[in-house]
Amino acid sequence: MMAIEAYEHHGAGAAGHHAPPRRPTGLRRFTAAGWLRVAWVTPLSFGLATAIVEGARAGLGTPTSWHNQNTFQTLLVAWYVMVPLGFLIALGAFDYWFYWISGRPTRPEDHSSHGARSWKDYFRVNTDHKVIGIQYVCTTFFFAMISGLLALFMRAELARPGMQFVDNNQFNGFFSVHASVMIFLFIVPVFAGLGNFVIPLMIGAPDMAFPRLNALSFWLLPIGGLIMLSSYLIPGGAFSAGWTNYVPLAVVQPDGNLAFQMGVQWAGASSIVTALNFLVTIITMRAPGMTFWRMPLLVWANFATSTLVVLATPFIAGSQFFIMFDRVLHTNFFNPGNGGYAIGYQHIFWFYSHPAVYIMILPGFGIISEVIAVHARKPIFGYRLMALSLMGILILGFSVWAHHMFVSGMQPWLRIPMMATTLLIAVPTGIKVFSWLATLWEGRIHFRTPMLWAVGFISMFVLGGLSGIYLGSVPIDQHASDTYYIVAHIHYVLFGGSVFTIFAGIYHWFPKMTGRMYNERLGKLHFWTTLIAFNVTFFPMHWLGLQGMPRRVSDYAPRFADWNMVISIASFALGASTLIFLYNMIVSWRSGEPAPSNPWRALTIEWLVSSPPPVFNFDEIPQVVGSPYEYGVKGARHAVMGGERADVQEPHKVGSH
Amino acid sequence: MATVAHVEEHGHGPPPAHQSSRVDARLLGIYFFIGSEIMLFGSFFTAYFFARVVIAPHAYGGHWPPEPFKLPVYVALLNTIILLTSSFTMHWALQSIKRNNRSGLIAGLALTFLLGLTFLLIQAREYTRIGFSPHDLAFGSTFFGLTGLHGLHVFLGLNLLAYALVRSIRGHYGPNAHDHLGVEIPGIYWHFVDVMWIVVYTTVYVI
Repeated sequence: MMAIEAYEHHGAGAAGHHAPPRRPTGLRRFTAAGWLRVAWVTPLSFGLATAIVEGARAGLGTPTSWHNQNTFQTLLVAWYVMVPLGFLIALGAFDYWFYWISGRPTRPEDHSSHGARSWKDYFRVNTDHKVIGIQYVCTTFFFAMISGLLALFMRAELARPGMQFVDNNQFNGFFSVHASVMIFLFIVPVFAGLGNFVIPLMIGAPDMAFPRLNALSFWLLPIGGLIMLSSYLIPGGAFSAGWTNYVPLAVVQPDGNLAFQMGVQWAGASSIVTALNFLVTIITMRAPGMTFWRMPLLVWANFATSTLVVLATPFIAGSQFFIMFDRVLHTNFFNPGNGGYAIGYQHIFWFYSHPAVYIMILPGFGIISEVIAVHARKPIFGYRLMALSLMGILILGFSVWAHHMFVSGMQPWLRIPMMATTLLIAVPTGIKVFSWLATLWEGRIHFRTPMLWAVGFISMFVLGGLSGIYLGSVPIDQHASDTYYIVAHIHYVLFGGSVFTIFAGIYHWFPKMTGRMYNERLGKLHFWTTLIAFNVTFFPMHWLGLQGMPRRVSDYAPRFADWNMVISIASFALGASTLIFLYNMIVSWRSGEPAPSNPWRALTIEWLVSSPPPVFNFDEIPQVVGSPYEYGVKGARHAVMGGERADVQEPHKVGSH
Repeated sequence: MATVAHVEEHGHGPPPAHQSSRVDARLLGIYFFIGSEIMLFGSFFTAYFFARVVIAPHAYGGHWPPEPFKLPVYVALLNTIILLTSSFTMHWALQSIKRNNRSGLIAGLALTFLLGLTFLLIQAREYTRIGFSPHDLAFGSTFFGLTGLHGLHVFLGLNLLAYALVRSIRGHYGPNAHDHLGVEIPGIYWHFVDVMWIVVYTTVYVI
């Protein structure tokens, strides 16, 4: 135990075997994996893509002109495919596999790319799940700040009726890019980041099952985000058909729309690969004694989420491929004039994007289960039902997609079954909410920052769930569709829901990730300012929506002016509250109080190792001896480390098969 | 100070992970990946059936394929037979290395590769002579979408086979279960591509 704690995340280079890898010198620096190689390979792949497209057009005898929209679209697609590939190859994401496929001896893994010794190591291809987890979280927050800023631009425009700062098209770009980046670059991947850091530790694994694939899937992510943001550089402006990108709008829009289509492909590939990795890791690398019924609920939640990602994400990939073909190759997948089915796009899109809302909330459910049990010092109520309700949501989540389409003109007979399944999903969700409340009941609650976020999450998410029940009913949905009621609902479940769980998780594992404590006073200030500003921003939107204020429009009737001014002011307060969070994180990471290995007296395995964890997580794989949630039970252990194994008798077959 | 000794003793890497499943991680990985691939094909089939079942009965006289287009059913049948055969040669290659028969492995992989390449070339020939293009109604778009997506998978499978072939010629792989995963995994992928073709062929050409 002592030896484990003595490892240092940043300082293990002291051991001879773990000296930093020797950096190449001279001209070799330009051919070795890294940013110098990126500096010349990426422009080269840009030129290569251009040459291929121009060459093909010259070969086919098609006149080429950059002012010709068709040429430019083809070029954009070629750039969006080849430039990121060139970047990844140059950065070294594929080096190992290139050795492998050519039959050359692969360099045996010397673990030189494990751990981070300085901030620069976060900008390299790193196979350590802890480094990748932090890379994910920082990248996703970078994109969250940008798209949050876009939301504030929108609120500035909407503060008063009439047109203030932007034109309609720019406004449409703001909400489209805001939603797309928040969903695909923040909420979906930030959970992959937290999971990446925590899950291997939680199940007693030295790393993820496929560390190189893990590094690759991280680097796919910023590519997707930068492609989406690059749409601002394309003539015609950013994509502005909403994050749903419905046809026929998506097909006739300016070329910026391609940036959404291609960005989704890269970000989606990143999600699928990470999810595969989670599934295989959870199935094959659990510590001895950790049966499925002894897995912490965060592991269960990521298991369910990853299954959803692997099975659902290909549908959004397909939907965006079809739009791209319809735009660039002039095919007729969704062209009603030529035998295509325009509403078919919505079916394919929502067959991913409804499961995607569970992709965005199930890992949060897992985080809340951990946080509440630990900080209320009580075993989680109804552990098995909690796990099974995750699986129930996973299955039901595939059967409700058309409730987004009640007013789309789809086949009317599909409405009632979709309404029924939608309302049915409230059952497993309700099981979870009541179990959390029952866990809190008579618990010894410590209102530290993560717990505040968790309790805030339950209240806000229930509000979002209640408006969801109304929206799931066909008659009310027909009245409220495309109004601010929808905007209120989505923000109560995605911000009050997912983002609150993200903050809970980040505060909860901050000591483990950085080895330092965050500032509790600033954390609480962050929570209360966010909670108040969030509610003042989004609650009035329910009323505005029911009175008929349409969403996605840059202007509105003067009678809505007062509430909109209130909302805009509150939204700026909400933005400012995030600065408290950023300040707290940055300053605490640099100079916070050193964190003990287990500041919350939690039972799960990640708290048995030092903070931050040793480079290879464990000296010896721990032995799991009991439930992860026996808080308040005297002498209860979830797992024991190698050295103590002899001292603790495993209770015979408790909770296992 | 005891700590330093400890680090040097164990400092050469992580402890081996506990294996909590009888299935090898890499095999499990390829199975999940294939699950994802099936869903990608699923989205293309969905678009196909929307065009065929929802729209076509009310447009262009209800014919599928729409007049005057025709599908080369027998050329595609020949191609189906070729691809099916390649699954058997793939199986032969894997069985050979399991019995430490290296030349059987190389011959099996080379045959599989050539059969797959023949499939792709015949398909390319079919594309140029088929008499319609992706622009011709949603029919043409979904036809080229499905068969093209499948062709892309054949191409990727050929790549994997080529890597396995190069490595087997260089003397990699052995009879132990752990030593021929590099043949087994491309094989699993190849069988998936093959089975998927039977579904595509049945849907697009036969029914």
